[in-house]
Amino acid sequence: MAAAARLLVTSRCLLAGSRAWYSGGQRIRSWLEQRAARLYSSEGKVTVKFVNRDGSTIVTEGKVGESLLDLVVEKNLDIDGFGACEGTLACSTCHLIFEDHIFEKLESVTDEEMDMLDLAYGLSETSRLGCQICLQPFMNGMTVKVPESVADVRQAVDMGKNS
Amino acid sequence: MAQTLKLVNRSSSVFRNLTEAWAESLLRRPEKVIKRHKSLADVPGPSAISFLTDIFCRGGLSRLHELQLQGKAKYGPVWKASFGPILTVHVADPALIEQVLRQEGKHPIRSDLSSWKDYREYRGHSYGLLTAEGEEWQQFRSILGKHMLKPKEVEAYNDVLSDVVGDLIKKLNHQRNQNPNKVVKDISSEFYRFGLEGISSVLFESRIGCLETTIPEETEKFIKSINTMFVMTLLTMAMPKCLHKIFKKPWQKFCESWDYMFAFGKFYFLLFLADIAEKVSRGEKVEGKFLTYYLAQEKIPMKAVYGNVTELLLAGVDTISSTLSWTLYELARHPHVQSALFEEITKVQQGRKVATAADVAKMPLMKAVVKEVLRLYPVIPGNARVVSDRDIQIGEYIIPKKTLITLCHYATSRDEKFFSDPNEFKPERWLKKDDCHHPYASIPFGFGKRSCIGRRIAELEVYLALSRILTHFEVRPECPGSVVKPMTRTLLVPEKEINIQFLER
Repeated sequence: MAAAARLLVTSRCLLAGSRAWYSGGQRIRSWLEQRAARLYSSEGKVTVKFVNRDGSTIVTEGKVGESLLDLVVEKNLDIDGFGACEGTLACSTCHLIFEDHIFEKLESVTDEEMDMLDLAYGLSETSRLGCQICLQPFMNGMTVKVPESVADVRQAVDMGKNS
Repeated sequence: MAQTLKLVNRSSSVFRNLTEAWAESLLRRPEKVIKRHKSLADVPGPSAISFLTDIFCRGGLSRLHELQLQGKAKYGPVWKASFGPILTVHVADPALIEQVLRQEGKHPIRSDLSSWKDYREYRGHSYGLLTAEGEEWQQFRSILGKHMLKPKEVEAYNDVLSDVVGDLIKKLNHQRNQNPNKVVKDISSEFYRFGLEGISSVLFESRIGCLETTIPEETEKFIKSINTMFVMTLLTMAMPKCLHKIFKKPWQKFCESWDYMFAFGKFYFLLFLADIAEKVSRGEKVEGKFLTYYLAQEKIPMKAVYGNVTELLLAGVDTISSTLSWTLYELARHPHVQSALFEEITKVQQGRKVATAADVAKMPLMKAVVKEVLRLYPVIPGNARVVSDRDIQIGEYIIPKKTLITLCHYATSRDEKFFSDPNEFKPERWLKKDDCHHPYASIPFGFGKRSCIGRRIAELEVYLALSRILTHFEVRPECPGSVVKPMTRTLLVPEKEINIQFLER
């Protein structure tokens, strides 16, 4: 059973990989990274790569079932203002942007999450709230992007002012 | 289908973000930025005297929501005015409201000057979630938020709220049978009692009898105290403190109302504790999904528990009552919307008479109706923020720290720039794919970590009540064509009685 599931995941991944083939080298590289991460990941653990607002990356590992917000809090990742409402669906500060092939497989969005997403800054076609997404084996090796915040834009403005 | 609509809606939001990004990229050009920043002194607005005359001599306190529209028309989206001794900057544009809320910081402050806080200091009471600030507020919010806001947790209140709704239906049936035309007069007062019974059941998991035919005296007095307190809130804030000594009545009445509410909250909390103690002594296991239980378990002082219980009780009454009253008012005036909603309810319930939390989650028109009601009649017509530690940018202005900022939600949600036919009740606008209003144009529950903590419970309560009312009755206005306008009483409430005819289906 577990083997069959793994096979299914691998074949999905292969499909995603074959799509990536056409969209250029970077996609293939990221696919290879995911494959490698899967090979090396220990049982029940999922490796996630966060691309922070300044472009820096943080690679960390979480348990299957915990939310991306839990992961950020537990590992004390340095993402400014992330998860302000503590996962109570009252804000959108845990907004994350997913890769297409992962986004397609996520559980459907509820009305409550959609209402909060509408109020998020820098909304994209593959945006979700980190507090609503729980880690699953197929996510192993995925990359999630932290969108630029208003504060960054303002900082850029201030820097421009000083220069 | 709904999913497709959402996706299309989202595309429109993406488009909005793109345009914003473009605007922001323009802002990044330093020369533009320097030219555009203005200070508080540059913000336009009426003179202190003319605003005071507006407020005190022209019935302005109850027309504060309309003053938002006038201010915006006269001065643009940002203006300043002195509300009694307090200078406040009004913001009446969704993009600017968004800008303020994004700068609210770690522990957002609604207002650091308020008669509510003054009263607590005066009597030595503890602050609750509505009035506390900083770390204290964060502690309350964290304890209560996880049980009140997470949709999965809120589903646990389904059964207890459903019982209360059952009693509401019985009460409405009883009231309409007292009238030859099956009219229930002043439905708001029925819904006040329903609101109080609902929030009590969630807090204490016990019933306090507001929906009985004979209503307990203390619950009526509690509801009256809330009303008086809200009327006196604005008055006591607009009056400079020195005048409190000359005109003593408002502050006195204000304090008496709060005294009663605190006594009421404390009484029911102690009753609840005694009940638990008895259960424990009988060897029964005590567990429950009720809020007071969670509060009592935490290591917070007893006084703080009273403060929170009292504030939660009061926050669940007018809010529910106004929303339900306006919804029935509009549904009675728009029979085609009512029949579409009835159809949706019947379809989802599949022959059952009682909807559950899982059912109402599948009712998009129900949600659209309530969104539209709260757009037209936002219970909180104007909210506020104070950023205490740094100056903030609002559009072309830099506003100094500690300035009270009034967010004019009533003005934005009735602005034709964002909603076509802004004064018309058109719930379908929330289901249309091409209606890409600014998402901050109507945010009746606020947004962010200081937004309404009762939102999810209130939504569930309203959906359960509406689905059951419409399953049993068709509602019609008592006098077709009669118009009821909203008025400000700190909150936005109906100006006069709403009378509704309930016809059995």
